[in-house]
Amino acid sequence: MDAPLKELAKLEKLTASKGKGPSISDSLDALLISLREAKHAISESAASGITPDQVIKELGQAVDSKKKEVEERQKEVYNSVSRLGKALDKKFPTPLPSYPDIFSSPASITALERTIALHLLRTGQFDTAGVFLQECALDIPAELRAQFIDLHRILQALRNQDVGPALGWVAKNQQFLLSRSSPLEFNLHRSQFIRLLLSSHPPNFMQALSYGKECLTAFTDEHQGELMRLYGCMAYLPLSKLQTSPYADLASPSLHFDLEPLFAKEYCASLGMSRQVPLRVVGDIGGGGALARIEKGRKVMRERKSEWSQVDELPIEIPLPPENRYHSIFTCPVSKEQASDVNPPMMMVCGHVVTKDSLHKLSKPTGYDADRRVKCPYCPMESNLSSAMRVYF
Amino acid sequence: MTSTKLNVDGILLFEQPFARVPFENYRKVFRSTQRNVERDMKAVQNSVQDLTKQSSEGTLAPDAAVESIDAMIANVENLKKKLAELHDTAGKPTQDVIRERLQHLAAVETLPNANDPEFGRWADTRLDRWLVDWTLRTGREKTARMIARERHIETLVDIDLFADIKRIEAALESHSCTEALAWCSENKAALRKMKSTLEFDLRFQEYIELTRNFKHPEAIEYSRKYLISWQETHMDQIRQAMALLAFPPKTNTSRYKRLYDSSRWTALIQSFRRAIYALNTLPTQPLLNLSLYAGLASLRLPACHNHMTKNVDCPVCDGEGVKTVRTGSLGLGKLAQEVPFSHHANSTIVCFITGKIMDADNMPLAFPDTGFVYSREAMEEMAAKNHGVVTCPRSKSRCNFSELRRVYIS
Repeated sequence: MDAPLKELAKLEKLTASKGKGPSISDSLDALLISLREAKHAISESAASGITPDQVIKELGQAVDSKKKEVEERQKEVYNSVSRLGKALDKKFPTPLPSYPDIFSSPASITALERTIALHLLRTGQFDTAGVFLQECALDIPAELRAQFIDLHRILQALRNQDVGPALGWVAKNQQFLLSRSSPLEFNLHRSQFIRLLLSSHPPNFMQALSYGKECLTAFTDEHQGELMRLYGCMAYLPLSKLQTSPYADLASPSLHFDLEPLFAKEYCASLGMSRQVPLRVVGDIGGGGALARIEKGRKVMRERKSEWSQVDELPIEIPLPPENRYHSIFTCPVSKEQASDVNPPMMMVCGHVVTKDSLHKLSKPTGYDADRRVKCPYCPMESNLSSAMRVYF
Repeated sequence: MTSTKLNVDGILLFEQPFARVPFENYRKVFRSTQRNVERDMKAVQNSVQDLTKQSSEGTLAPDAAVESIDAMIANVENLKKKLAELHDTAGKPTQDVIRERLQHLAAVETLPNANDPEFGRWADTRLDRWLVDWTLRTGREKTARMIARERHIETLVDIDLFADIKRIEAALESHSCTEALAWCSENKAALRKMKSTLEFDLRFQEYIELTRNFKHPEAIEYSRKYLISWQETHMDQIRQAMALLAFPPKTNTSRYKRLYDSSRWTALIQSFRRAIYALNTLPTQPLLNLSLYAGLASLRLPACHNHMTKNVDCPVCDGEGVKTVRTGSLGLGKLAQEVPFSHHANSTIVCFITGKIMDADNMPLAFPDTGFVYSREAMEEMAAKNHGVVTCPRSKSRCNFSELRRVYIS
């Protein structure tokens, strides 16, 4: 953005009232002086002996020269604006593509409205969501809305260092959290324990110890190591000492801040919702290079005058960050085809996996299916076709 | 293939209108300044020239000259005031908006990668901007204003531009071309450069309205004044326009009946929208739609549509609630049906339990009897907690960790 910013700075300087060189307002001021002087000279011409004709002649010259000055200045501004425009053209060489009719059917518009409404609710913009739902005449079940309001109430409490509401929710969802071996409950207690330890100066161990006895003892099995560290850190108080100790991580504010995303993740998972904000995820991928790549792919295809081999599949691969890989993809190393239910991935005795079709093609065409032999293309092992096993990723 | 480094070119592809709209606004301010300067300076020059002429003809009267100079002084003072006002209320604020937006874009150029919290905030703002663009284009103005205010992004969105669009379109809807024609004359040069024929279409419509009301002399006068200048490119339509004089509004001749049809107004609205979008380099579809199209296509897999392989974290699987299995996709999953599937040249095996990608360091392991595959990490953790026994969460089969079979994906 350097070039456009530089041109903008020049334009700002040129149009500022106190800029370099005579500004338009300076020229106009000078013109006003000439006009007033001329007026004065004409009214006084009887006394001074200078004829009005002379005055007018000089005034004519002054007006012409000032007009020219102003016009030149305007021309400079004009050129500066054009240069800024050119810098922008250069910075943004490709126009946005057009996909006529994308998401324009009534059903898609409703789906989009619903997505946006849920996004506003999920990100805690309840007032905006209310206005939006009204403008779209759309309804989100009250139950779903209440869940989001509850989520934000608890997150707000966490922000205010109150773990109470979060623990209340944890108590109601113990079974679910256990099945996910979630560290949420322990982390909530850990945060509270540390806060109690650091809240008073000099440190009040008793308060923290009694909290630990009441709330942390239950975690002896699951989080033994962590628990020992929590008690161990007491030897390094106060805070300033703790920060340079082997327990410095316990002094970090992120111990408390990280509760919010962790809680949101577990809460959403309990409702069958994604851990990340879905609209952000899709938007970030689309707006982070995917559209540019798709367009480039299309352009190459157009230049080669070839159609996509598969109309319903992108012609190019879009790289995704690991956290956005949500499904396993098995591409057969032999046929390069993607596995499917009809053509599933099969593991040979040696552990190498190919698709079923490839496996059959690799097998030697003798005997019955049961004792057909397959030589693995990736290692020396030979095995029976029938001993290959379907795998599920 | 993994990628966390920011693709700046890919990001900037979306941002041309963001920088262009305030720039076009500034150009408008400049033109307005220019008009004022030209008019007032010309007027002053003319007055002086008059005086010079009188002087050379010997008819110069000092009193009249003083009066004329007074008028000139008023003129110049007025110009000076107007220019200062224009700069303070329009020029400077618009420059500030351009600066703020360019700096907003410059910030993203310097961020190291997508995991930077600063980028998270930037992307939040970008999504807010896209939502404002979407709501403005679809007429949800209250929501747009509310997002802009609550998220403090008033200077980063173009509510005024869309307010203009709305005003002009409302006029067209009530069958008035005046506002749209004023906009055309404001942007004459740019429209000519774009080879837009919007102005002709508007003029043609005004002409049709005259013939509709049987004002034939006025219509002919109008065509001379406004249509003839387009003869090089629009001769056919001009001929048609002239012939229209012979056909009353109730005609059944389809070629002329069409011209009297009110659907032409809808077409004019669309054509106006295309022109004003193009002038500001705004795409014809909302920015949100474009990013969703590309994002969904990058993610969409056949597995997203199979309830056995759905993943609540996957936006295409549409995890907006546990009930989606029964009711079908209502949000992003529904939209995903309109986009192509993603393409993958290589295998990527994602652990069902941890969601992590499996590789040589985190090998895939299969249950020996059912063939369900999980990452070594997940299996090790499970074994450590259960005295070496692992249980498949999907098939419920149990075995010792040591019995799991190594899977090789090449």
